[in-house]
Amino acid sequence: MADRPEDIQYTKTHEWVRVADGEATIGITDFAVEHLGDLVFVDLPDEGQDVEAGTTVAEVESVKAVGEVYTPVTGEVTAVNGDLADDQSSLSTDPFGDGWLFKVKVSGGPDDVMDLAGYEAQLESEGEPA
Amino acid sequence: MSTRKTPLFEAHEAASARIIDFHGWAMPVQYKGILEETRCVRTAGGLFDLCHMGRLVIRGPQREDLVERVFSGNFSRLRLGRAKYGFLLNTDGYPIDDVLVYRDEEEVHIVINATGRETDGPWVTQCRDEGGYDAEVTDVSDDQAMIALQGRISEHVLQPLCGIDLSAVKYYGFATGPVCGIDTLLARTGYTGEDGFELFFDKDRATEVWNALVESGSALGMHPIGLGARDLLRLEAGMPLYGQEINLEIDPLEADLAFGLDLEKTGTVGIPALKARAEAGSAREAVSLASDGGRVPRTGFGVQSGGESIGIVTSGGASPTVDKRIARALVKAGSAPVGSTVDIETRGKTFPMEVVPAPFYKRPRKKPAASVSNPTA
Repeated sequence: MADRPEDIQYTKTHEWVRVADGEATIGITDFAVEHLGDLVFVDLPDEGQDVEAGTTVAEVESVKAVGEVYTPVTGEVTAVNGDLADDQSSLSTDPFGDGWLFKVKVSGGPDDVMDLAGYEAQLESEGEPA
Repeated sequence: MSTRKTPLFEAHEAASARIIDFHGWAMPVQYKGILEETRCVRTAGGLFDLCHMGRLVIRGPQREDLVERVFSGNFSRLRLGRAKYGFLLNTDGYPIDDVLVYRDEEEVHIVINATGRETDGPWVTQCRDEGGYDAEVTDVSDDQAMIALQGRISEHVLQPLCGIDLSAVKYYGFATGPVCGIDTLLARTGYTGEDGFELFFDKDRATEVWNALVESGSALGMHPIGLGARDLLRLEAGMPLYGQEINLEIDPLEADLAFGLDLEKTGTVGIPALKARAEAGSAREAVSLASDGGRVPRTGFGVQSGGESIGIVTSGGASPTVDKRIARALVKAGSAPVGSTVDIETRGKTFPMEVVPAPFYKRPRKKPAASVSNPTA
């Protein structure tokens, strides 16, 4: 299992967000990746697209399921992780680093986020080994 | 909702399988990963717990007449010790289930889907009663275990545990004899497109046989396989799943499964209705679709051509064996010829797929011994 960073925030739908200098980097947690299984496709927003906190802006597909990714912040998409188009393995090997999904210039939020302790408490309450 | 467990449930948990509810059964969907397990069966071999599937045994003096009445294929021409694929049809010619029938000397075995366990036995019994056949219909689903070994190493894994000469059991043939010392019906059948066997025996011995097979197989690269890979394997091999490719609204003609029908058997339930439709021509047809990457086609996605809806995806997946996205779809007849491109639609987005010949995967034929040593090499 990947070590979950303490300096980022988490959502109850298993995204993570790291905000620095007004820019948010967003990805999904190791738990989400593990739960989806073999990944085969990632659909990311367009650079320059305006996104609103709490809406679906990306999809991570596995052999068996489609995982919707919500943005916890409002703003303009400034970058997407293009490396994931051909190879999704960094989502499994480094979900909190090289496996990031997209970056947003923050104009609102993050909304409905929690710290690591809160996230792990949620996993535990869902009956999952945190 | 309480789910039922097979006799092998503890073995799956001990192997850290991910368990899902499959039509009321707690079943392993994967052990290590769907793609890895699919590759394992294609390159070596895999073991499958199929205890959740249903099994009927028909006995009595008129057992074969009853089977001829309810089974869509030509049973009378099936030799003893052989199995055949076909359907139990309702009077309108729609499949209640797809099944394998095994013709034995004193009885006929019918293997049915897990989803057919509530319906198939009562249906055959009803047909027996209406026709007054002197035959006994017994549901042995809860008494028997069913385990499959699939993949090119199956014979090597099974032979050391088995008192039957497996080289004498032909494809779609079966034999009875001891496996691990336990009376077993053993058939050279399966649902993956690979060589392999399906074993039927006393359910109280399921764990014993499973563990022996795991032990015999693991040294050769055979591992337990979950339902996720099983679904992908059968789709790659072009095999239908009841409820998706065929159901009470999609008949075997539309699904391109006429090989499971004998339309001359007018005394069989559902055949007259199907024969009339065969003569009129079906309005829909099944096609195979493939693309190189991108989104994965999934059951229920729309199929469009030139912006117009022409049908739906019945099964889809990401195939590791042919390294493509693959799907079966039911479309308006003639609307999607091989070589054309269709658009797959989900939630307002579309992506293209090419119409290709079926199946996606066919196992390589064994090379004749002569070609192994190439004199020019």
